[in-house]
Amino acid sequence: MKSNDRKSAHRQSKFLVVFLKEFRESLRDKRALGLLALFTLMYPVMFGYILNQTIERATRAEREGIELAVIGGAQAPTLMSQLKEKNITVRKLPDMDEEAIGEMLRAKKVVAVLRLTPKFADNYQAMRPARLELWFDSATEQDRRRRDVEDVLRAYNANVASARLLAHGVSPAVLGPIDLQRYDTGTTAARSAGFIGSLMGFLFFPAFFCGMAAAVDSTAGERERRSLEVLMAQPVRTWQLVGGKWLAAGSLAVIGITLELILAHIGLSWLPLEEIGMSWRMGWGDLAMLCLASVPLSLFASAAQVTVAMNARSFKEAQSLVSMLMIVPMLPGLVVSMMELKTATWMYAVPMLSNQTLMREISKGGELGLLPYVLTFACSALAALALVGFASWRMKSERYVLAV
Amino acid sequence: MIETHEVRKQFGTVQALGGVSFTARDGQITALLGPNGAGKTTLLRTLVGMLKRDHGSIAVDGVDPERDPLTVRSNIGFLTDQFGLYERLSTREYLSYFGELNGMERADLRRRIDEVSEMLAMDDILERRSKGFSQGQRIKVALARALLHRPRHLLLDEPTRGLDVMSTRAVRQALVSLRAEGCCVVMATHVMQEVSHLCDDVIVIAKGHTVAQGSPQQLCQRTGIANLEDAFVSLVGTDEGIAA
Repeated sequence: MKSNDRKSAHRQSKFLVVFLKEFRESLRDKRALGLLALFTLMYPVMFGYILNQTIERATRAEREGIELAVIGGAQAPTLMSQLKEKNITVRKLPDMDEEAIGEMLRAKKVVAVLRLTPKFADNYQAMRPARLELWFDSATEQDRRRRDVEDVLRAYNANVASARLLAHGVSPAVLGPIDLQRYDTGTTAARSAGFIGSLMGFLFFPAFFCGMAAAVDSTAGERERRSLEVLMAQPVRTWQLVGGKWLAAGSLAVIGITLELILAHIGLSWLPLEEIGMSWRMGWGDLAMLCLASVPLSLFASAAQVTVAMNARSFKEAQSLVSMLMIVPMLPGLVVSMMELKTATWMYAVPMLSNQTLMREISKGGELGLLPYVLTFACSALAALALVGFASWRMKSERYVLAV
Repeated sequence: MIETHEVRKQFGTVQALGGVSFTARDGQITALLGPNGAGKTTLLRTLVGMLKRDHGSIAVDGVDPERDPLTVRSNIGFLTDQFGLYERLSTREYLSYFGELNGMERADLRRRIDEVSEMLAMDDILERRSKGFSQGQRIKVALARALLHRPRHLLLDEPTRGLDVMSTRAVRQALVSLRAEGCCVVMATHVMQEVSHLCDDVIVIAKGHTVAQGSPQQLCQRTGIANLEDAFVSLVGTDEGIAA
């Protein structure tokens, strides 16, 4: 009994020896640390910037209204007042050449430039078609607001036509056999909410990036540098070797994603998400629970990377295989959003999807209960242990020894 | 003491070991002679329990490496033919890692590292990281690693390759003192001069079979050839494979 105890204590310490050595080596690897820094710092910053831009763009229309530059507007005072009624700000400008107009549109100060030709008033009075020129830049994503301007112009055109027909004793209804009325139920906010929702799913990718270099280096790298055979000839069990390497890579990923989630939380709490109909109702306690429930995701990612990299024929092959592996965790989330599935309990049992779902549900601010947290934690943890078990079994096999 | 009897190992259709029997005694340096591809690497890997034999028996101090590989390994210092160091660790850190893997106590480990370092004349590289080490420095580090945990058995695959004269002498002296301490040293080598000067016993293997075992003098007598190299060629039965 006593010797058994001592034996297991011994085993534990060798596992730790491998872990500490691999962890120390990773901390000295500038490439691995660079990746870690990139995804913990750069990722939330980039993410916050994109979000901020999206919110800005989505809410600008309501805040600022539409600004339209008009040349020769004095010739059509009715049109000007109709534009004003539709909340379109008119900026009067002297006549400009084509180049100056293009310049102005590229600066995005106005939605479009409306130019009344100098003969507009004459033609109008003579009841000849009076030309209006609408200059716009289709590359600036101002399409919707330009359409609003065109609608006003079309309404003005119809009004004038009706008045003229009435003056000739003809009912204007003759020219309007149908009456089209458009109702757009989608708001800008709702559209960007969908986009941002899918963007948030990406917050968990650092789990796959941060430990990658360490996982590949300590397995495929060790094999390519010819130090694995010596290691395998030591009085150490394969699970201690695989486990130590796995935990070293996994710790980096855990550190990376936890820091990243904290930074993202600070950013998201600060952004005016309510303006686009979204919310980030997460307290520090919720965040701590989310981070804790996501620890096994990093360990699962590292276990998968160690297993794949270990069996690759070369360091290069390991790198490309592990990079390809990153597509896999994206798939469940993609399928769910494509099929527009409602949140269901089974989603908490799929690694990665469970973390994304959990974060989305927490951020809505409802009461979740313990089950989603437990399932999120357990599904990744079990998958990770199964993979480490498989990798240890594989390392012990004769075929693997021969390939070392 | 390492005893093997009729050890066979087959990979698919290739017979890597077709019947290897020998005894390597304590307090002796035993040379393992054989052309490239004779099965030396497979034999060494089988001795540490990384590969399982198909037939025959192996006993390292009476323990079968297949049954209890961890006990056998903790009693063996293994220098492989190709090995890498950890570029981001210093020599001392590298040695500490393997010492800890062999269950050494911290204080004992520190003492032993200094001891081994003195034995192999490698004080100058002890605190340096192994990036940019010469071949000789690398072999010394690997050899120090193999000696570190005071194993009773040493399996060395060409321990003096790439070493300059001074380092070769240091290694040979280390081996002689280990022999005096009663270690069982098995050394694969292609340097005949080393065999005749250093080794008490020679095992010749070719195509996975032990062809002969005996002292260098006995091998010469048996073949009736005075020169050990010529005797070896005649035992192996071909002119090939001795180039290295």
